[in-house]
Amino acid sequence: MIINASNLVKSYEDPKDKSKTFNAVDDISLSIRSGEIYGILGPNGAGKTTTLEMLEGLKDIDKGSAFINKIDVKGNPYKVKEIIGVQLQANEFFDNMNLAELLNLFSALYNKKNDPISLLKKVNLADKALANANELSGGQKQRFSIACALVNDPLVLFLDEPTTGLDPQAKRSLWDLISDLNKAGTTIVLTTHNMEEAEYLCHRIAIMDYGKVIAEDTPKNLILKHAPEKVKEVVQGNMEDVFIALTGHGLRD
Amino acid sequence: MFTSPRAYLTKVFIQIFLRNRQYIIFSLLLPIVILGIVGLNDGEVDPIDIGLVDKSSSDLSASFSNKLSSNNLFNVIEGNEEALKEKLINGDIMMILVIPNTMNSSNKTNTIKLLVDKSQIQFIQTIQPVLNQTLLSIEREITQEQAMFDLSIEDVKSRSQGYLDFLLPGIMAFMLMNLSIAGSGFNVVEFRRRGILKRLFVTPIKPIDFVSAIVIARMVIVLGQLTAIFGFAYLLLDANITGNILHLYLVIILGVLMFLTLGFSIGSLAKTQETVGILASIFIYPQLVMSGVFFPLETLPEFIQPLAQLLPLTLVADAMRAIASDGLTIFQVYSDIFGIGIWVIIGTLISTKLFIWKEVAG
Repeated sequence: MIINASNLVKSYEDPKDKSKTFNAVDDISLSIRSGEIYGILGPNGAGKTTTLEMLEGLKDIDKGSAFINKIDVKGNPYKVKEIIGVQLQANEFFDNMNLAELLNLFSALYNKKNDPISLLKKVNLADKALANANELSGGQKQRFSIACALVNDPLVLFLDEPTTGLDPQAKRSLWDLISDLNKAGTTIVLTTHNMEEAEYLCHRIAIMDYGKVIAEDTPKNLILKHAPEKVKEVVQGNMEDVFIALTGHGLRD
Repeated sequence: MFTSPRAYLTKVFIQIFLRNRQYIIFSLLLPIVILGIVGLNDGEVDPIDIGLVDKSSSDLSASFSNKLSSNNLFNVIEGNEEALKEKLINGDIMMILVIPNTMNSSNKTNTIKLLVDKSQIQFIQTIQPVLNQTLLSIEREITQEQAMFDLSIEDVKSRSQGYLDFLLPGIMAFMLMNLSIAGSGFNVVEFRRRGILKRLFVTPIKPIDFVSAIVIARMVIVLGQLTAIFGFAYLLLDANITGNILHLYLVIILGVLMFLTLGFSIGSLAKTQETVGILASIFIYPQLVMSGVFFPLETLPEFIQPLAQLLPLTLVADAMRAIASDGLTIFQVYSDIFGIGIWVIIGTLISTKLFIWKEVAG
C-alpha cells in the first residue's frame, strides 16, 4: 500500500447555523496500492477535493491519519509534498512567464533541475515552450498542469477532475497520457464525475457521497453488484447506472 | 538562509515585475510629473506680460522702458495703444502702461497711465505694490538717488532650498508606500484568488520562503524605482541632497519593510480584490493629506497634528526629509525610526495572526 488513510475527518462551520459544524469528509479510510489508478467518484460537494487536499497536505486533517509511502502527512507534510505531484482544479499560473520558465520555477521549488523541453514532450506541448499559460486551450492547460506536477518525479500523482470541461479529443488524449504515466510506474489518484472515465481508466473506484465512501471496488464488480437489472437486458449496465443507483437522482450543486 | 527555492522565487518575482512595462512606466510617471512641474518652476515666478506705449520718445522714456524690460518680473511688449488694447482685451497681456508725451524731464511728476481689464482687478491689486516698487526703483536709478532701506532676505538654514527639496523626500516616501502596498497586499490577494498560491503550496516551499521572496523582490524593485526618481530629480532638476545617502537608504529600507508588512495585513483582512482596493485607499489617501508629503504638517488643524505625527507615511517622510534636506543622521531621527519599528511589529502581528496559510491557499 502506498497510501494508507484511516478515519479521515474534516469539519467546517455550518454556513446556515454558525454554532454547528458539519463534516465535509466524514470518517473515510482508503488503502491505495502502489502502481494503481484509483478513482474517487462522486457528485459535487461529496468531499472528493477535500479528501485529496488532506492527503496532499494542503488542508489540515482534523481527525484520523494518513500515510503516503509510510510518511505521516500530518507530522511531515513537507516530506510528503516532495514525493507527490498535484494537479489542481484551478490551473492558473503567473502572468508574463512562458511554459519553459514556469517548469524551471516549479523544478526550483523542489530544489531540482529539469529539462523543460523533455517534460513538455511528455505531455505533447514541446512546440508551446515559449507560449504563456493563458494562451493555451483547456486541454493543453490540463496537460501543462500535469507536466508541472511531474517536475519532482512523483511516486503518486493526484489529479483533481482532470478532464472536466474538455472536448472528447482532448479527453481521450489526456486519458492516454494518464495511462502512459501509470504504465511507467506512477500511482495515480484522480477524482471525477465522468463515469466513462472512471470505467475506462481506473483499476479501483471509491464512490463518495455526503463525505462518506459508500462503495469501493473494481468498476466491473461495482457494475455487477449495483446495476443488476440492466445485466439481463444488455450485456451489462455501466458505471453511470451504478452511480445513479447509489447516489440517487436528486440534483446537486 | 538563502535557500535555492527562495532565491529562485525572488528572481521570478523581480522578473515578472520587470516584464510589466506598463506598470513600471506609470508608477514612475506620477512622481516625475509632479516633481517636474515643481522643479521646473522652483523659485521663479512667471513674468507678467505688460504692454508699453511710449508717446514721448525722449531719452528719459527710453531709459525708463529699458529698465522696466530688464526687470525679470515683467515681460515688456512695446507697441501702439490700439494694438496693445486689443491684446489686453484678448487676455494676452495683463496691463498697458502709457508714457505721456510730456515725459521728457525728471524734474516734474509724470503721470503714467495704467490701462487694465477690470475683470482682472483682483490681480491688479496684488501686483500694484510690486509695480509701485518697480517704478520707484527705476526712478531712483534714473535720478541716482540713494535708497534709504534695502531688505535682504536670508534663509536661516543658509542653503539654497526650494519647494522641490521639501517635496522630493515626501514624494519618494509616498511612492515607496504605494509600491510596497501594491507589491504585498494586492499581489497576495490576486495570487490567492487565481489559485496560484495554492499551486505554490502543493510544492514543498514554506510560507516563510514565499513571504521572504516577496519582501526581498519588492525591496529590490522599490530601491530601483526610488533611485531612478532620485537620479531624475538630482540630475535634471538640481535637487539638493544634504545628508548621508546611506542613511537615507536605510530609512527607505525600513520604510519598505513597514509598508510591506502593513500591505500583507491589508491583504489578509481583505478577501477579494475589490475589498483590498478599498482598504488600500482608506490606508493611502488620508495619509496623503495628513502626512506632510505635500504641505508642512503645521498647516493642518491643530487637533489632527499629534495624530498625523504617528502615521506611517509621516514617519518615513519626516525621517527622509530630515536626512535628505536638513542633513541629519539616522540617529538624530531616532523617534521616527522607533515609530517605524512599532508599525513593523504591528504589521507583522496582524499579518501572521490573520494570514492563516491553509485558508489562504484554499
